[in-house]
Amino acid sequence: MAARAWCSGMADPLVVVLLRWTDARARIDPLSGEVESDPRGAGPSEADRCALEHGLRIAEAAGGRCVAVTLAPEEATELLRDALACGADAVLRVAVAPWDPRVPDSGAATARALATAIRAELGEPSLVLTGDHSADRGTGSTPAFLAAELDCAQALGLVRLSYADGELRALRRLDRGRRERLAIPLPAVCSVEPAGLRLRRASLPSTLAARTAAIPVVAGTVEAEPVTAHAARPLRPRAKELPAPREADPRLRLLRLTGAHEEREPPRVVVTDDPAEAADELLDYLRGKGYL
Amino acid sequence: MRERAGPASTAVIVDQPRRPDFDAIVVGAGPAGSAAALELARAGHSVALLERGPFPGAKNVYGGVVYGRVLDELIPRWYDEMPVQRWVTRRQTMVLDGERSMTVDFRSQNWGSAPYNGATTYRAEFDEWLAGHAQKAGAVLVPSTVATRLLRTESGRIVGVRTDRPDGDLTATVVIACDGVNSFLAKQAGLVPGDQAAHTTLGVKETLALPRKTIDERFGVSANEGVDIEMLGCTQGIPGGGFLYTNAETLSVGLVLGLRGLAESGRRPEEILAELKRHPSIQPLVRGAELVEYSAHLIPEGGYDTMPRLVGDGLLVAGDAAAMCLAAGIWLEGVNFALGSGMYAGRAAASALAAGDLAGLREYKRLLESSFVLADHKKLRKAPGLVLSERMQRRYPGLVCDLVEGMFTVENPRPKPGVRKLLRASAKRHGVTLRELARDALTGLRTFG
Amino acid sequence: MNQRYGDISFEDRMAQVDFRVAEEPHIVVDTDVCRSCTTKACVHACPANLFVPTAEGGILFNYEQCFECGTCYLVCDGGDAISWSYPDGGQGVVFRHG
Ligand SMILES: Cc1cc2nc3c(=O)[nH]c(=O)nc-3n(C[C@H](O)[C@H](O)[C@H](O)COP(=O)(O)OP(=O)(O)OC[C@H]3O[C@@H](n4cnc5c(N)ncnc54)[C@H](O)[C@@H]3O)c2cc1C
Ligand code: SF4
Ligand code: SF4
Repeated sequence: MAARAWCSGMADPLVVVLLRWTDARARIDPLSGEVESDPRGAGPSEADRCALEHGLRIAEAAGGRCVAVTLAPEEATELLRDALACGADAVLRVAVAPWDPRVPDSGAATARALATAIRAELGEPSLVLTGDHSADRGTGSTPAFLAAELDCAQALGLVRLSYADGELRALRRLDRGRRERLAIPLPAVCSVEPAGLRLRRASLPSTLAARTAAIPVVAGTVEAEPVTAHAARPLRPRAKELPAPREADPRLRLLRLTGAHEEREPPRVVVTDDPAEAADELLDYLRGKGYL
Repeated sequence: MRERAGPASTAVIVDQPRRPDFDAIVVGAGPAGSAAALELARAGHSVALLERGPFPGAKNVYGGVVYGRVLDELIPRWYDEMPVQRWVTRRQTMVLDGERSMTVDFRSQNWGSAPYNGATTYRAEFDEWLAGHAQKAGAVLVPSTVATRLLRTESGRIVGVRTDRPDGDLTATVVIACDGVNSFLAKQAGLVPGDQAAHTTLGVKETLALPRKTIDERFGVSANEGVDIEMLGCTQGIPGGGFLYTNAETLSVGLVLGLRGLAESGRRPEEILAELKRHPSIQPLVRGAELVEYSAHLIPEGGYDTMPRLVGDGLLVAGDAAAMCLAAGIWLEGVNFALGSGMYAGRAAASALAAGDLAGLREYKRLLESSFVLADHKKLRKAPGLVLSERMQRRYPGLVCDLVEGMFTVENPRPKPGVRKLLRASAKRHGVTLRELARDALTGLRTFG
Repeated sequence: MNQRYGDISFEDRMAQVDFRVAEEPHIVVDTDVCRSCTTKACVHACPANLFVPTAEGGILFNYEQCFECGTCYLVCDGGDAISWSYPDGGQGVVFRHG
């Protein structure tokens, strides 16, 4: 595929920022494993906010448009209003119906739905930006799937991203403190870590305008779910097998099995504000247990 | 420097704007603010509703009961749509002393059906619901935005507010300050008199999770019925009181503590609350519950005599910002007063705007006086002083418990003592003269009667 | 000291609350003023327990887990020891129940 030109050939480069709507403080029921999330606390992750700031800056520098897109239920409208207020030129919500938080979503399906919606509604993007991985069980694979869907380059987990003179440059952390400098060919999908940048604060006039703006919605077209959950079950650890007690008397065997009458120290919670006292407590404990 | 709202912030002098951005700005999307914005929007005026939290209710804490009568006038059939935890059908007033307690327990099934009396609800849900009504009527809610300073002309007219956002000045013909107990806006307008710390209490609250059935059993209620318990004598001598309310699957238990008394006591609020939770009358109710939220908020408890001026030039003050909270012992009501005052502020502003004459804002005071808002506060103006007095807080709880213990302790073969004798003895033991007792009883009768 | 059954530590208590921590503190305490304060009223009254007395008689203050209630500036005996303001819009404490 011939690389689409960035600035030179294209009059109006399109920067798309994908924001994932998650509740960072969702409660998980320890018994059923059901996730209880609260739309009031939900929003984009810090990495997504960072991606939006990058998107706004790059679009500005390249004289292009920055569009914020989310695949989310209606409650996520607030997130898009905030993006508009911060300076996004347009927003788009890709609706998922019906939203069932128990169904695990897959990066591949998300990427396909997003790519279809972006192509249909916004055209071919020059650059797609997201946070490195979503705050809720994110694997960071969605941007990679997206690059495949859009058939373009990918650079993931970036800590720095800058655009100048028609070139997109980035920095990525590697193992052992090494850094990798990248020159990213376009079009591309990039994901960024929450580092270096903070999302700007929206001005009052643009906030007011965003409060009443119409938020366009398109239906998400997810053809085939690659992963289907048949049933969500609580975790049941496998039973641990114990050898049968050797006692001949059934009553004694029973006692041995239940652990009754056995001398045991009750668990202890220690709280003290004094570090020295806490250290003494710990040392005593370790000595008592024979570790020291 | 960043724009901030605090005790040190001051008004900004500006020129009279030629065309204001809005007819009215309402600061604070609590019950007062949303009620005011709702009335203004309904009357067809453009109104911005500023809220510093990310959503209405995010910054707000209360005990737990909204008394809904005033809502009849604001939102017909509100009870069919309001987010309710439980309908209060049982109300208790409890006096605690040491390990003893005396409770007056009232139950009415009438309160459990329309038009209802009071409901427990979470503020995060209630405030958002009400602000939603204001938005549907046309008000523009602006969340995550702090009104930091009043915009004032040279001649003293309030013409808008500055916010903490870039390019953040917003102008309007009328500003309504519903910014709650700390109301830095009312202070900037010079409307607040006197020493606020002396008339302010700190409320601390724990929200405790229990299964719905356990709550039903422990509190003797069924379906969506709930209980409202007000307590005296549980604050270790610090002027204040306590409360315990039932939600669907949580309890709200908390304390109200006079700021001065708390500061002098050297005790920490959550410790005093822990002690209340260990009281033999309370412990069985809260046992085994899991803490899901700890919260704190101030309450203006001074009542009528400590209210600020309610009308300024182009400015109205409503709700807690105007100290319209009734926090005197067996009452803990503020949301209803905030709703009422916000509603009347909205109406007065709407008619002044329609008439094109800001002198019409004075109508606000008259509307309040002819309604429960100021009528109740005037009637109960002595209540805070009485309920928070040293005798009421430190001596009467013990006296009452002694008296009742004396009456019901069976000491056969000794004959039962007469009530008068018991009263004299226990009054003496707690250092209360019968004359003081009679005087307080009279004040109480005049105030509450 | 052993913890009583049913009690939870203060840290656990505060961990139940959602705080969106702003980059800059909204409350600043001038510990030089505090050194000459005899009551240290803030230490007991702050419901979030954010005022920690130091060995030198000053105060160590953390703004992160603040309820934004206003108790401290109202009880403070040190005149201008506390520079108090609300955090920027959208930042700070977020109550889910209230
Ligand atoms: C512990 C406790 C228990 C209580 N129990 C009860 C009870 O059981 N029943 C009852 O009826 N009442 C109760 N009250 C009283 C009741 O909560 C208040 O009276 C009521 O909330 C007042 O409403 P308001 O709208 O005036 O103020 P608030 O509810 O305080 O609303 C003010 C709003 O303004 C916003 N704001 C403040 N400053 C600014 C600014 N500068 N810019 C933008 N926004 C701003 C705030 O974020 C807030 O949303 C209790 C209070 C407490 C603290
Ligand atoms: S505002 Fe309240 S919670 Fe915050 S530091 Fe002051 S007293 Fe503590
Ligand atoms: S009360 Fe005020 S002056 Fe005294 S220690 Fe606290 S903050 Fe400092």
